[in-house]
Amino acid sequence: MSTVNAPFFARGQLLDGADQTHRSRDLGVDFTTPSINLNAVVHPRTDVPPLLNVPLAEIIDFLVLTGERLRAADNIHMQECFERMASTHILPRQVVEATARHATAYLEKRILEAEVAQNFSDPAALDGWIPKQDFTGRRSFVRAFGPRLIHVLPGNSPGVAVKSIAQGAMVKAVNLFKMSSADPFTMVAILRTMADIDADHPIVKSMSAIYWRGGDTATESILYRPQYFDKIIAWGGGDAINNVVQYLGPGFQLVSFDPKTSISMIGHEAFDSDQSLSKAAALAADDVMTLNQEACVASRYQFVEGSREEVEQFSERLQAEIAARAAASSDIRPLDIEMREQIEMLTLMDDDYRAFGEADGRGIVICSEEPVDFHPINKTANVVRVDSLDDAIPHVNVATQTVGFYPFNRMVTYRDRLASCGAQRIVHLGEAGPSTIGNPHDAMYPMHRFVHWMAHEDGSAESS
Amino acid sequence: MDSIQQLTDLVNNDSRYDIPYAELEGLQIAAVNARLQQRREQIKLVDHRARQAGIDTVDCLESMVPLLFPHTVYKSYPETFLSNQRWDKLAKWLDTTSTHRVPTTDPQAFDTIDAWLADLETQGIFVNCSSGTTGKSAMMVSSRADLDWCLTEAVAAYTWGSGVKACNDRRIFGLAPVALTPRNQITGEAYYRALQSPDKEPFSYPVPPITVGSLTSMVVLRKKMADGTATPAEIQAYEQTSAERQKTMDDAVTIAADAIIEARTDRLHVTGLWSGLYNVAALVRERGYSAKDFNPENSIYVGGGLKRAVLPDNYREFVYETFNIQPERNYQNYSMQELQSGMPRCREGNRYHVPPWVVPLILDKTGDVLLPRDAGEYEGRAAFFDVSLDGRWGGVISGDRVSIDFRPCACGAQSPSIRDNIARYADLEGDDKIGCAGTVDAYVRGVS
Repeated sequence: MSTVNAPFFARGQLLDGADQTHRSRDLGVDFTTPSINLNAVVHPRTDVPPLLNVPLAEIIDFLVLTGERLRAADNIHMQECFERMASTHILPRQVVEATARHATAYLEKRILEAEVAQNFSDPAALDGWIPKQDFTGRRSFVRAFGPRLIHVLPGNSPGVAVKSIAQGAMVKAVNLFKMSSADPFTMVAILRTMADIDADHPIVKSMSAIYWRGGDTATESILYRPQYFDKIIAWGGGDAINNVVQYLGPGFQLVSFDPKTSISMIGHEAFDSDQSLSKAAALAADDVMTLNQEACVASRYQFVEGSREEVEQFSERLQAEIAARAAASSDIRPLDIEMREQIEMLTLMDDDYRAFGEADGRGIVICSEEPVDFHPINKTANVVRVDSLDDAIPHVNVATQTVGFYPFNRMVTYRDRLASCGAQRIVHLGEAGPSTIGNPHDAMYPMHRFVHWMAHEDGSAESS
Repeated sequence: MDSIQQLTDLVNNDSRYDIPYAELEGLQIAAVNARLQQRREQIKLVDHRARQAGIDTVDCLESMVPLLFPHTVYKSYPETFLSNQRWDKLAKWLDTTSTHRVPTTDPQAFDTIDAWLADLETQGIFVNCSSGTTGKSAMMVSSRADLDWCLTEAVAAYTWGSGVKACNDRRIFGLAPVALTPRNQITGEAYYRALQSPDKEPFSYPVPPITVGSLTSMVVLRKKMADGTATPAEIQAYEQTSAERQKTMDDAVTIAADAIIEARTDRLHVTGLWSGLYNVAALVRERGYSAKDFNPENSIYVGGGLKRAVLPDNYREFVYETFNIQPERNYQNYSMQELQSGMPRCREGNRYHVPPWVVPLILDKTGDVLLPRDAGEYEGRAAFFDVSLDGRWGGVISGDRVSIDFRPCACGAQSPSIRDNIARYADLEGDDKIGCAGTVDAYVRGVS
């Protein structure tokens, strides 16, 4: 079996070496890394964060320049990264490459400024101590002080890598990125690109990226301490979060980007005409196939208001649209054996469950009266027939992220109930991906939670 | 005589674990082919598989592989069938893997799954349910003929593997709660008929038997919690029941320890799961009794592995030494719910022996390809075709990693044998995967 090498990055220094061999769970590929020098990734508390006195405007300029360099055809670090990714990532290379390039679009001046403006009522708090005075006349200064952050990165989205670097830099944090086995490359490639721009820049000195196996006590029980870090920014659920939870305590907090499921709600208006049916099916397929259904925003269940016959008609069109998108991205990953088995068994029960397409990895739609209880993934959609979209509400829960609607004018009727059930975003069908710049993510303004809000009390007006 | 019967008749033949595989291969292929021809008509999923793979005849071992069912097939029912008490739909689901038609009755007629299953038994459909270490319970159908087979086969495997003669001269000591499934019950019956002395009473573990309803109630509650429909009162009630059950379990250890101390001079056949056996043994030791006090002819049968119990490293020796079990009367058996026949462990070679009516198929890790037969011992994913099964399909791909050897074993027996280091692939691979996409399962706490 061939192995690939994944170097580390520690506060501005590239760490090369092949001292340890790890296995990427998704593909069963081995990769080698240097051994970890934990001292190198911990910034002593007695030293203020390197970015503390670098103006936000300069940080943003540096990030914008980074974006340009990441997109440049002659960027050897990114080229190498894609080569290596192709061997460990579950998505086809062209999807990974396109997604990574797309992700760099975040590094644009207006976007970054908008993010800051939405997260902080006064972004100047990032650059200095903001004078405050309450109605009693008491005065103080408040600063959004740079925190020490560990980012536990997901393996399914290079977009998260780019965003995490940008947000970590803009809040002037000391950042340690824990890479995933599905992608132990992108983060280091970005940091190397930044080091090429200016190896001595405080932004580069504020960043480390290493890999250890999630849950590895030997590393986590040492690093996950309030003496070293303020907050742990974790993506995902299950073992990844359960491992983190045991280390939480006073001074060491969790900011979690929870694992999410997204759905679609399609009203009877879709059946008004052949044209509206085609449109609804195409838009629904866009949402299903977001990042080839690997992302949390990708729709998995489509609740469709109509008769059995109508809903089956929709299912058939949806399958054709999904299959077309799968073929266009040369995605022929076969379905997980367990899911394939469940689909086959369900369809053998004839009347209740009907499959459109085959469980062969080219795109399949299961049409049913109840949601299936496996997690539809890998070009798999579950169309659930409902008499009224009201009947879909009980299926919205605390894990629901994005709800795509058709027609768009029915969103207002549903948004309060959806929020009450736990949903976080409601969008036009077909627009699960894009969001208004600076909008909350996972029901919060993340950067506002990242920073260490520090108060400098300056006494009452009389005492000065 | 047909190939199926030739193989299954060997259950009464003393040399059943001593036949070189080369002598059986042709017969096994013919038997599996005969099963395919019969079952295609009867089991929907077999026909679906055969059509998909384009296999009409089994003429070699390779052609069996696409026809095997992954063990997860038996867990593929939607959980809502349980939580909504849709026995009619569950019947339809069971029917897709059953040889004999599973009748669909009005779900309103039965309050509980146990009541429904009891009714099915009167119609010759016996539903087995696994304890579901991973959450969901597997459910599969046995027929009357299957239960009759277990009655004979369990004893045949036991007497060969343990060297203990079936002559009704022991007192059976059950030291584990028993899941009340047809196969478990009939196996218990088989041991009773073979070993239990008519002069003594067997000891049954003093806890209520575990019914399919109690096995699946956790699945139902978990689903309700995920949906957000479980009320705080329901969760409270569940926790209270769990606490009471735990109290009963704790009390049972004391009662069992007292009883086995009382019966220490009797010739005992001890049976149970490791965790329970260990707890009873520890209490027996605490009371000052050990091997010297127990009958030197005692025998033991432990079902299953550790089932996630955490015990000291020497738990086995500790149990043997407490109850004075000599190594030659220590019986172990490799089997799984999805099959019905066992593979008894020999005493000299410590290996599990595959009987003639079970076709061993060792696949690659993913379960897709039959590995070429190696001259020596080799490792892979265990799959089997149990020719003896009547009520459902005999071909199953397990979740187990095994090492098989087709050469004669150190014990002298010539059948293929499996090394005593079986592991689950699921336990070998940790979960290091994180991503932003996920399900509500990550939000459910307290029921596992």
